[in-house]
Amino acid sequence: MSYPRTSRPRRAGAILAAALLLATTACTDQSAPAPAGGTVSVTGPLCAALPTGTEPGNPTALADLPVDQALTWMPTLTTFEAALRTSGLLTDLHQDGITLLAPTDDAFAKKFSDDTWDTLMTRDHDKLRTLLKAHLIAGTRPLDELAAAGTATTLDGVTLTVTRTGDTTRFGDTADAVCADYLATGARIHLVNAVLGPLPTTADGSGHRAH
Amino acid sequence: MRRHRAVLIALSTLLTASLTTIAAPASAAEPGQVTGLTVRQADGFATLAWQPVDGATDYQIERTPVDAAGTPTGTATIVGIWRPNRQINQESPTFADAGFNPGDRFQWRVRARFDTTEQPYSEPVAGTTTAPWGNPDVPGEQLRTQWETTHAAQYTSDTEEYAYTAAIDELSDRVRVVEIGRTVKNRPINMFVIGYPTPPATPEAVAATSPAAVNCNVHGNEPGDREACLIMARQLAFSTDPRVIDLLSHTTVLIVPTINGDGRAANTRGNSTGQDLNRDYSLIRQPETAAYVNMVRQYRPVAGYDGHEYGNSRAGDLPMLPPRHQNVAQPIFDESMDMIEGHMYTKGAEDGWWPCPYGCDGGGNVGLGEETILRNTLGLKNVVNSLLELRSSGGQTRPDEGNAANNRRRKTFSALWTFQQFLDYHRASLPDIKQARAESITFQAANTGRLVFRGSRPITAHPAPHPGSSPPPIDAPPADLILDNAPCAYRLTEEQYHGARTDGPTGAVTTAAERIADHGWKVIKVGDSYYVPLNQPERGLIPLLLDGQGVENLVDGERIYPTSTGRHTGPLTVTGFACLDDATVTGPVTVRSGAALVTTGTTITGPVNATGAAGVLLADTKITGPLRVTGTTDAVSLIDLTVTGPVDVSANRTDNQPLLVGNTVNGPLACAGNTTAPTNLNISNTVTGPRAGQCATL
Ligand SMILES: [Zn+2]
Repeated sequence: MSYPRTSRPRRAGAILAAALLLATTACTDQSAPAPAGGTVSVTGPLCAALPTGTEPGNPTALADLPVDQALTWMPTLTTFEAALRTSGLLTDLHQDGITLLAPTDDAFAKKFSDDTWDTLMTRDHDKLRTLLKAHLIAGTRPLDELAAAGTATTLDGVTLTVTRTGDTTRFGDTADAVCADYLATGARIHLVNAVLGPLPTTADGSGHRAH
Repeated sequence: MRRHRAVLIALSTLLTASLTTIAAPASAAEPGQVTGLTVRQADGFATLAWQPVDGATDYQIERTPVDAAGTPTGTATIVGIWRPNRQINQESPTFADAGFNPGDRFQWRVRARFDTTEQPYSEPVAGTTTAPWGNPDVPGEQLRTQWETTHAAQYTSDTEEYAYTAAIDELSDRVRVVEIGRTVKNRPINMFVIGYPTPPATPEAVAATSPAAVNCNVHGNEPGDREACLIMARQLAFSTDPRVIDLLSHTTVLIVPTINGDGRAANTRGNSTGQDLNRDYSLIRQPETAAYVNMVRQYRPVAGYDGHEYGNSRAGDLPMLPPRHQNVAQPIFDESMDMIEGHMYTKGAEDGWWPCPYGCDGGGNVGLGEETILRNTLGLKNVVNSLLELRSSGGQTRPDEGNAANNRRRKTFSALWTFQQFLDYHRASLPDIKQARAESITFQAANTGRLVFRGSRPITAHPAPHPGSSPPPIDAPPADLILDNAPCAYRLTEEQYHGARTDGPTGAVTTAAERIADHGWKVIKVGDSYYVPLNQPERGLIPLLLDGQGVENLVDGERIYPTSTGRHTGPLTVTGFACLDDATVTGPVTVRSGAALVTTGTTITGPVNATGAAGVLLADTKITGPLRVTGTTDAVSLIDLTVTGPVDVSANRTDNQPLLVGNTVNGPLACAGNTTAPTNLNISNTVTGPRAGQCATL
């Protein structure tokens, strides 16, 4: 596959980046051609909050990116993206097909205090990996397929119920899919609005953390 | 009274703000209909302004994407609610609409509501919003951040920041990028040093320009301000706007985009050890905060902003807060309040942004007096400054921020507005800032008044008729954290001063001595003890770290009280550590080799001669007769002295700068052969006689 993906692929190396910065004066070509499977359409109430149409990071443009790179284009997944990167689990994700139930930043903010989260991110990496595994399912599973199966087993060994009521698909009685069926290389990503797994809630909900 | 100036200096327009204001066509108004709607474009936002409608409860602002012919290309959406508490003046309502792709074209309408009853919309105004700053065809100007090129879908990564920073450094003569330190994980911490036509060559030369400093990103999961800083750095580096040239011709701008690069990369609040860096600026356990404090010591910014994001959805657009620890000198607190309420509230009302006290509506237990917070640390270091919050969500007055990119744009462009305003304020108010700083430094060095270990100055609500927001909590100091009888100095043992510590990153824990040196405090070794006198410019911060009563202290130093008060007649010879406070000495004073003299509030009639002393720190003292300080080994500090007679500061061997600050010398002033050249901290001495040698320009 050799078609262009986005106008500004991620890259390492300051010198190359500097050269491109100088060369790239504007986003002259934001529209990416459709991937092998055609245009990707995602569904759910949160999709409008994410890049759409021909915006950089639109679902079609992400379909041929490795999953770690695709996640960096989703502005409501900054916590999950950084956690996966920090945990090192991404290395494992490249091996096989994988489905991600990706909690939004709001979901993490509702679940964990800043202190809890920083502890997970800086010290308790084993616990962090277990937490993240509670959001990963083997295989690339469309939302409809998961809903039809009625259950799904996450990589932490827990079997979740998957229930569909009207347009809403819910995992483990807590997490609703809010924008489903993003594609990435060997991966499907369903954004969910709650954090799964057994860790206790430590956010106090006030949003008044002093700065 | 400095705080609520009636007349604000007229300032130049914002960068790239169109001078053209587009007005809606006039037509006969229906009852309750908004009239006189205008739109003015600026960096990433559009200011709507209109004539108020009698009896209106609030107003709704509607935005519709349109093409060049004015035909709608998308749906009309209510993007703003103007409420009375957004603005200190009610007669000229304005709203800064943001949260769109800069460069797109829109039409706006505004309607009043009586209670919830909607009145007719105004006539529309249309305009093309301002595209990202910089001509795409002009080298330098054409640079863009990752955040800009991805249409806010991605924040600028560390490698992209370094590339962008290096490109600006390369292409602009106005910019020098310096690495002020490294993070725990060894990421460079860069600072833009920006001046016109070039920035001064050394930190001391930069300090002489009374620089303005912006700290953009201390909490790694609050990246909005950082993107504004990166854009502003490009504007300052390449803009030919007379405002920018004028600003940079008069001062130096210091921008630290990412003090917490490790936390930014991991999207965590703290650094890679989990330490909240904004609880570490006094203790400087971490290399990131130590780098910033070191920078402040060397570059001596006189004013600052510290950028954050804030989760309280009921807050204003831009919560701000001054340094309010009670040890912050009053003039610094007052001038910081003037910057916020005098300047930002007024300019916010003109441009449609909503600055408010930190906390605002239902602020909870935030905005207090911890000296570990940069806002307070800087205040204790005599820097006029404010914290800045960007409200995380759209909140009550921006109902259409569901789109993540648009939410990010509103935050970043409101930060850009604030930082541009901060620089305008600095340009217009520099004489006041410098006066406040000078008064605060001499006040602190005089070591008078009580000390408070923790507790805040009250911040009152903005005066009526502003229907405003609730101020932050009172946070008065409890009785057990007040010390009415301030000591002269703290005495530290060898173990306390140089001993190994455990509070810091593994393998990189610094000693108390290193941290005290980073702060720039004078220390005198006499015998086996290390003395840190309080008659120094950062007097209010010293006890917080060195007193056993300090809430988050460094060591439990021993309080040393004055050794002499009252009258002394006859020769006075100092051996060991002597502290004169509120004393009157008639007779010659001699400081022996290896001894130390510290004075405050004292009058000495007779020559003062220190040869080979360990330290001479004199403040708020009158001396009749020659003053000669020579061969000192550890520290020399002369602040706010009145000397009748010649002053000679020569051949001192200190590794830190001797201070000659704000003194009046009725006679000649001579400095020669000091190992480290003296400084006046940009507070001139008044000298009637000739000034010579290293003191020629002090
Ligand atoms: Zn913060």
